[in-house]
Amino acid sequence: MTSDPDRTPRDAHEEGHSPACDAAPVVLLVEDDGLLLMEAADTLAEAGFTVLEAPHADQALKVLESRPDVELLMTDVDMPLGSMNGFALARLVSRRWPRIPVLVVSGMGSPGPHDMPPGARFIPKPYAPSALVRTLHDTVRRAA
Amino acid sequence: MVARDADAERAPRDEAARQRDIHEDTARLRSLLHEARLRTERQPGYPGSTAEWEARLATAEELNARLRASEAFTARLLAASRDSIQVLALDGTVQWVSEAGRAADLRPGEAVIGTDWAAAWRDGDRVAAEVALAAARTGRTGRFRAPSGSRVAPRWWDVVVSAIQGPDGHPERLLAVARDVTEAQRAEEQQALLMQEMAHRVKNTLALVQAVAAQTLRSAVSVEAAMEAFNGRLMALSDAHDVLIRGAWAAADLAAVVDGVMAPHLDAVAGRFAASGPAISLGPRAVLTLSLMLHELATNAGKYGALSSPAGRVAVTWALSDGASLRLRWQESGGPPVAPPRREGFGSRLIERSLVHSFGGRVSLLFPPEGAVMELEAPLAAMQDGIA
Repeated sequence: MTSDPDRTPRDAHEEGHSPACDAAPVVLLVEDDGLLLMEAADTLAEAGFTVLEAPHADQALKVLESRPDVELLMTDVDMPLGSMNGFALARLVSRRWPRIPVLVVSGMGSPGPHDMPPGARFIPKPYAPSALVRTLHDTVRRAA
Repeated sequence: MVARDADAERAPRDEAARQRDIHEDTARLRSLLHEARLRTERQPGYPGSTAEWEARLATAEELNARLRASEAFTARLLAASRDSIQVLALDGTVQWVSEAGRAADLRPGEAVIGTDWAAAWRDGDRVAAEVALAAARTGRTGRFRAPSGSRVAPRWWDVVVSAIQGPDGHPERLLAVARDVTEAQRAEEQQALLMQEMAHRVKNTLALVQAVAAQTLRSAVSVEAAMEAFNGRLMALSDAHDVLIRGAWAAADLAAVVDGVMAPHLDAVAGRFAASGPAISLGPRAVLTLSLMLHELATNAGKYGALSSPAGRVAVTWALSDGASLRLRWQESGGPPVAPPRREGFGSRLIERSLVHSFGGRVSLLFPPEGAVMELEAPLAAMQDGIA
């Protein structure tokens, strides 16, 4: 069993929360911890998002290159496996794909002055799932 | 009377004249001495006999010696201090620097005397120095902490500036005493860093517990079952923390991790569980993930598998392959015949996804009738990585 970034968590379909597929905003979740990713993916799938997954920045870039339908990036900061951390990924994505809004999630207090790209949002861990869903919906709506 | 010896070789007829000269010289000196004594007696400031004068002279010499000893003591006192002590004029010009102060000065060879003391501090610290000077000039105590030297490895100083009172009781000069507090400063910085690191870990742990709780509730059949499952998982994380803390949160021995997870699941029957493999140390992230995985397997084995019957056995074995990846195998045997679970629960999702996702590699979980088998292989480097 490998981690398939294109996989949509089955709960979204099984539990029938997902709206029509073409209406579900596509969000790319970048998180190195499998358990946290599992839970975040379930939460967002239940809230009507189509969730793509990546364990580190390099995989996230591959997904973005192959999936032009990604509408939102949500990334963790510390990801030892990749070649860059979440802040660097956020800055790179906001340059290469300026139409994709970026959310950075981390357990480290708050970002430094030059960590975040302009317009990106920082969400401290742990977060309330309902607040996360609200933030993501707002962000997608504003970007549309 | 003086230098007449050369004349002694002259004719004896000169002897009388020579005696006469000596007599005259002596008389002249006597009169001079008398005159001098009279003159001295007429001046009231210089009375006393020769003996008195000699006594006074001795007293003066003793006082002088005492003064010199006291000065030498003060000098040794100042030299003994490890603090950098400087005497400043009221305008802040350096007038005197102690031995330790010269040693601490970062401009060796350059004359410090006569320079502006406050200007030696850089950036915002110069303002702090000026404020301290201003306080000392009004008789109060100025105090600040500031670095000097290289920006990479600065020395830190606790500086106190106070007034040196003149005879009239007003500040006459200023005293600047700088104590080296580099070690204390480093310790405080280290402490702040640790607190920050601790806060980060606590937040990550809370996020992990939140995910475990949410996942437990998602797949629970009843509140009671959720409660029991959640408590078991929380205890597994707690045990993993104990193992990690023994290794200063940097690394934990795989055997200790396996033992820590299995202990609550084993009864008193000896020989039901065997673990074997080489000593391998794992990083905190891998320890937490692996602990949760093994806990799920052990819980399942206790409910339906090898640990649910007295004859059942569990073996956990591991090895390094090519020195670069860890292979670990969980093998149950001797339990009741096994059937694959009908629905995919938290445990199997966790096992299939979390390790592979977090560290790369692969996992297989099979349920042949003779007992559940999990095999995992993951790059060792990723599993030994630092922070959780």
